[in-house]
Amino acid sequence: MKRRAARFSVSVAAVLLGATVVLRASGPPAQSASPSPPVPAAAQATPAPIPESVANCLGCHEDKGLTLDLKDGSTMSLYVDMAEIARSVHGSQLMCTDCHAKYDEDHPSGRTFDSQRAYTVSSYELCKKCHFDTYTRTLESVHYDLLKSGFEGAPICADCHGTHDIQNPHAKRAMMSRSCAACHTDIYDAYAKSVHGRVLVEDDNQDVPACADCHTHHQVQDPATTKFRLSAPEACVRCHGDEPLMQKYGISTMVAKTYLADFHGVTASLSRNLAEDRQQIVVTCNDCHGVHDIASPKLRGPEAMKATVTTACAKCHQGAAMNFPAAWLSHYPPSPQHAPLVWGVDLFYRIFIPFGVIGLCLHLLLHAYRMSSGR
Amino acid sequence: MTTRDADEYVVRFSFWSRFQHASVILLFGLLVVTGLPQKWPYNDVSRWLIDAMGGIFATRWIHRAVGVAFAVLVVAHLSVVIVGLLTGKMKPSMFLGRKDFQDAILNLKYYMGYADSPPRFGRYDYRQKFEYWGLIFGSAVMVATGFLLMYPIAVSLALPAELIPAAKVMHSAEALFAFLIVLIWHMAGAHLSPEAFPLDTSIFTGKIRKEKLKHEHPLEYDDLFPKP
Repeated sequence: MKRRAARFSVSVAAVLLGATVVLRASGPPAQSASPSPPVPAAAQATPAPIPESVANCLGCHEDKGLTLDLKDGSTMSLYVDMAEIARSVHGSQLMCTDCHAKYDEDHPSGRTFDSQRAYTVSSYELCKKCHFDTYTRTLESVHYDLLKSGFEGAPICADCHGTHDIQNPHAKRAMMSRSCAACHTDIYDAYAKSVHGRVLVEDDNQDVPACADCHTHHQVQDPATTKFRLSAPEACVRCHGDEPLMQKYGISTMVAKTYLADFHGVTASLSRNLAEDRQQIVVTCNDCHGVHDIASPKLRGPEAMKATVTTACAKCHQGAAMNFPAAWLSHYPPSPQHAPLVWGVDLFYRIFIPFGVIGLCLHLLLHAYRMSSGR
Repeated sequence: MTTRDADEYVVRFSFWSRFQHASVILLFGLLVVTGLPQKWPYNDVSRWLIDAMGGIFATRWIHRAVGVAFAVLVVAHLSVVIVGLLTGKMKPSMFLGRKDFQDAILNLKYYMGYADSPPRFGRYDYRQKFEYWGLIFGSAVMVATGFLLMYPIAVSLALPAELIPAAKVMHSAEALFAFLIVLIWHMAGAHLSPEAFPLDTSIFTGKIRKEKLKHEHPLEYDDLFPKP
């Protein structure tokens, strides 16, 4: 490694992963006996002195011209923006060497990398020192399978969370979805126009689901499996079964109840955790409402919804007539206006069963009374 | 006469009757075990039963297969009865008449102490007849709605599709009613009743003690053993 005049790289954040600076005295390193080197300009605003080890790093890495030649002919900036680190969640907690552990004061050793991406991928393991549970979950994800198969573009920690500028991922959910959009552009575009995505993108609405609410954060699974398909009702019900949340938007929680009570809802719920990946297809929320492009059924109107339901039914029920979707009560509980026949049958049994059973019990009790008093 | 009656038996049920009763026990039992968990699929006991039977798909197939067998039994029963009545080989002993409703009122009066003795019953008393007709109509409802639910497409081609959810409600509610009747009424009548406890065996052995027949079905006894 050698010093060179170089261009300022805007991608510096993606280059050095999880770098580390203690800006406030938060631990023993700040109590170092040796005199502090000059405080860098970017950190002057912070009250605490910079620990010696960090100061040593900055001695060189403050230089915007510091670069590394890579084997593919490009150069990688090694400049570290102290202010950026100070703003990150790690700013007050970690030092450079917590993540960049293999470097001693005598580097550069002349070691280099195939490409900038190769360097990023080589840093995949850095976060697990603290975030071990999260790291192991990523190993079970479809993204790790991709990386393992040799695809360097598969996302690793830094691609979604950033590097020196890591922010609290729970604070801004819109950010999370945009991380996915970096690769899944078409899907994100469809989502951003959907009833959920539009309000997240435009109004920063925190109630609507973002990508990870259905796909999970780190253990992202292949969405083409039957198991994932059957998990859809559970994902939807998490919000659509939440009475206070749905009241806020004037949506009935009957949508969840009626689906789960239906034949198909029972199938989806009870076959969800089968060990084998059954190819038994059953209609779930997505088949009528869409996946990423979900639109409000109220806005789409009953005619458009009916056409979609007809198509969804016909996928499995070959030969179904146009009137077949009437077998599904469209999430409405039966009422005299809506499905009077179903309502009537239900009402009849609600009266008939208690009437019959109580009558029979009375008959039995009278019999017992006579037998005991007649002795 | 009374002392001889105590040890003497008469034939009450044919092999065909006993076979039908045993078949109903088996098939009804299987239908309840595979069916009720489908009525309450989110109950823990239901989930345990469904898992024990091999999952929801296996449970549904067992239920359908047993349901078809039950439908065959119902058709066989009705065919034998109709042929038997038309050829005069069977007496219409299960038919409901005015006497059955009068018997019901008289029997309730006896239970409440307004009469000193119960009415004199024939081969089947009104309770047995009502249960029989309950079983016949219940079976008709269950078989009809069961087939509606088994072939929803074929149904919707000829009839309004709203029949399918209506059939589901009916199948489910009628099943519960039938189960409760068997549980409360049949168990009480054939097991817990002082006359039957612990078990009225004649539907299994086919025979009944003459004394018991005289006591429970005096009109039939008079028919079989007319007084000189």
